[in-house]
Amino acid sequence: MALIKDQQLSLEHAATPELRFSDWLSDGPNSADAVLANGDDDLPSLLTHASKLSMIALEFDTFADGRGFSMARMLRRAGYQGEIRAVGDVAMDRIDFMQRVGFNAFELRDDQDVTQVLSKFGEVTVHFQPSADGKGPSYMA
Amino acid sequence: MYAYNQYDQALVDQRVDQYRDQTRRYLAGEIPEDEFRILRLMNGLYIQRLAPMLRVAIPYGLMKSQQMRSLAEISRVYDKGYGHFTTRQNMQFNWPTLESVPDILGDLAKVQMHAIQTSGACIRNTTTDPFAGVSADEIEDTRPWCELIRQWSSLHPEFAYLPRKFKIAVSGSASDRAASQVHDIGLHLYRNDAGEVGFEVLVGGGLGRTPVIGKTVKKFLEPQELLSYLEAVLRVYNLNGRRDNKYKARIKILVNALGVDTFGNMVEAEWEQLKGGDLRLPWSEIDRVKGFFTGPDYLAVEHAQNDLADAFVQHPQFATWYRQNTRDHKQGGYRIVVVALKNQLQAPGDVSHQQMDGMAALADEFSFGELRSTHDQNLVLADVAQRDLLALWFKLQDIDLARANVGTLTDMINCPGLDFCSLANAETLVLSRQINETFDDMDYQYDIGDIQLKISGCINACGHHHVGHIGVLGVEKGGKQVYQFTLGGSASKDASLGKTLGRSIEQDQVVVVIGQILDVYVELRETDETFLQLVRRVGFAPFKERVYGTHQRSAA
Repeated sequence: MALIKDQQLSLEHAATPELRFSDWLSDGPNSADAVLANGDDDLPSLLTHASKLSMIALEFDTFADGRGFSMARMLRRAGYQGEIRAVGDVAMDRIDFMQRVGFNAFELRDDQDVTQVLSKFGEVTVHFQPSADGKGPSYMA
Repeated sequence: MYAYNQYDQALVDQRVDQYRDQTRRYLAGEIPEDEFRILRLMNGLYIQRLAPMLRVAIPYGLMKSQQMRSLAEISRVYDKGYGHFTTRQNMQFNWPTLESVPDILGDLAKVQMHAIQTSGACIRNTTTDPFAGVSADEIEDTRPWCELIRQWSSLHPEFAYLPRKFKIAVSGSASDRAASQVHDIGLHLYRNDAGEVGFEVLVGGGLGRTPVIGKTVKKFLEPQELLSYLEAVLRVYNLNGRRDNKYKARIKILVNALGVDTFGNMVEAEWEQLKGGDLRLPWSEIDRVKGFFTGPDYLAVEHAQNDLADAFVQHPQFATWYRQNTRDHKQGGYRIVVVALKNQLQAPGDVSHQQMDGMAALADEFSFGELRSTHDQNLVLADVAQRDLLALWFKLQDIDLARANVGTLTDMINCPGLDFCSLANAETLVLSRQINETFDDMDYQYDIGDIQLKISGCINACGHHHVGHIGVLGVEKGGKQVYQFTLGGSASKDASLGKTLGRSIEQDQVVVVIGQILDVYVELRETDETFLQLVRRVGFAPFKERVYGTHQRSAA
C-alpha cells in the first residue's frame, strides 16, 4: 500500500499503527505514540490525549463512513500538529476533501495509481467554506 | 438574481472536469461500481428503471430565461425533448446516457448551472418560498440567505459522506410556502420582540418512512451566525447519526433518539467553538449577496397597472385565470403569476422543450427575464405588470400552460412512480390521468376550492403524500398495486401529518374514493370552510363511513 505524505509519495515512513486508541487508553498513555482510531472511538477522549501522540491513523472502513472527516477537522482545531493518516478505503476521489479537513498522510487503497492520486490534490481550487487547510472562502481572500 | 463571479464559474468548470475524469475512469474499469455510484450521485446522476436520470440543481428555484432555454436545448440534444420539475425545485431529465453526462454538465456550466449535490449523502439543494422577494406577507427575502447556504454547502469537504441526505429549506413569511417543517433543517426568518430579524431553527423534520414535523432547536439565531450554527448541526449529525441502517440514518432519527433538548445541547456545545469565528458572516458579505436580489426596475404603479374590468367581461376565462393563478404582489401594479404544469395532457411537473422555450420568452417579455420553480411542481413568473396579464394569458394558451387550476384538485403533486422510478412500488401517473379525466369539470373543482392532493408511488414520499390534504401512497401487496389514503396533512405554517383513512384501495377505485371524499366535504362543509378545515373539524368518521361503508368507530 503506497503512502502519500505531504503530497508526495513517501518512501520512508512509520508503519501504520495497529494499536487501537481504546487499547492505548487502557494500556496507559506512554505505551506508544501512534494509534489507530475510527468513528466508533470516543472523540472527546481522543482530543484530550492527542498531544501525546505523534501519529493518529483514522480508519475508513468503507468510503461511505464520513466520520473521519469530522474527526480530523476537530483534531486540527484542537491544535493537533502531528500526522493524521487516512487508512482503509482511501482513494483519489476523496483525497482533496481529506486534505482540506486536516489529513496530511494517505495510505492508499491497493488499486490506486499514485501519479493519478497526486494530480487530485487541489483538483478544485475554489473553496466556499473555511476548513482545516486555512483556505477559503475564495471570494473573501 | 445571483450572478457568478470568476470563483463560482471556476468551481463549476473544475467540477465538470473532475466528473468527466471520474466517468472516463469508471468506463475504463478503474472505479468500482459502488464507489462510482456515490460519485455520480453527487453529480445528480441516478440509474433508473428504464434509463439514467439526471437531476439538475435550480438553487432555491430561481432561474433566468437563458438557463431555461439551455434546459430546453439539452432536452433536445441529449434527451427526449422534455423535462420534469420536482418537489425540491430541481429539474430532472429522464433519458440521458451515462456517457453524455459530462457534456451535459459542461453545457450547464456555460449558463451557470450544475448538478452538484442534487443526490447522495450530502447537503442537497436549499429550497424556499417561490414567492420570495415579491410577496406582500414577507418578513424578509430568503433568497440571499439561500445563496449563502448554497455556497457554504457546495463541495463542503467535511460533509460529503454524511449518514444520509440532508435537506434545508428557508421560509421568510407568515405563511410557509417552503414546507420547511418537513425538512432536516427548516429555517424561519422572523422579527423578534426587540425588532431584530433572525432565524428560528427547526431540526429533524422529514417525510418518507417515518414522517416527522421538525422541532425547534434554536428559538432565535442571529443572522451573522447562520453558517456557524448550520456547521455545528451538520458536525453533530455527521459524527452521531446512525450508519448501520439506511432507513434509520436521517437526522430526524437522531433528534428523536436523543430528545430535542440533548440534541440541542450537543449542537450548542459545538457551536460555542464556532461562533464568532471564520464562519461568522460579516455584514459586508451579507450585503454583497443581498445586493443581487434588490428587485427589478419596476414601472411606476400608474404605468404598470391596468383596469382589468373590461378584459374580465370580454374574456371570462381570463377572469377565472386571474383569480385562480395570480397572487398579490408587494409592488403596486404587479401580480405574481403561477404557471401550473398540470394540464390534462402531460404528467404533473413535466414540461416539453417547446414549453420551456416558450416560458423563457414569456419571462423575457413579461417578468424581467426570470422564472421560479415551486415545490409543488409548478413555475412562477414573479413580476408581471397588471397591464401585461391579458397578453401573457393568451401566450400561455399558445403553449398549453394556461390551465386555471392552481390550488385545485388537479394541481396535484405526483411523483413519477413505477413508470420511471426504480424505488417505486406502484404506478402514479395512471392516477393523475384518471383524476384529470374524471374531474375535468373546472366549475366542480372551483366549488371544491383549495385542496392539496399529493401522490407518492412508494414510501420514500417524494410526492409528499404525508402532507397532502388528501394523500395517496402506492404500495405493492401480494403482487398488486394498491393505494393507501391519508387525510388531514399540511405542509404550511399549521403543518400536520395525514392519518390513514382505512384499508388500501385498488387502482381502479382511486378516483371513486376521491369522489366520495369530496362528496362528504360538499355535504358537510360550512360557509367558507375549506376541505382541510372540515377534516380537522369533523374527523375521519364521516369519510370512513362513506368510503368503507362502516358504522363502527374502530379503525378499519
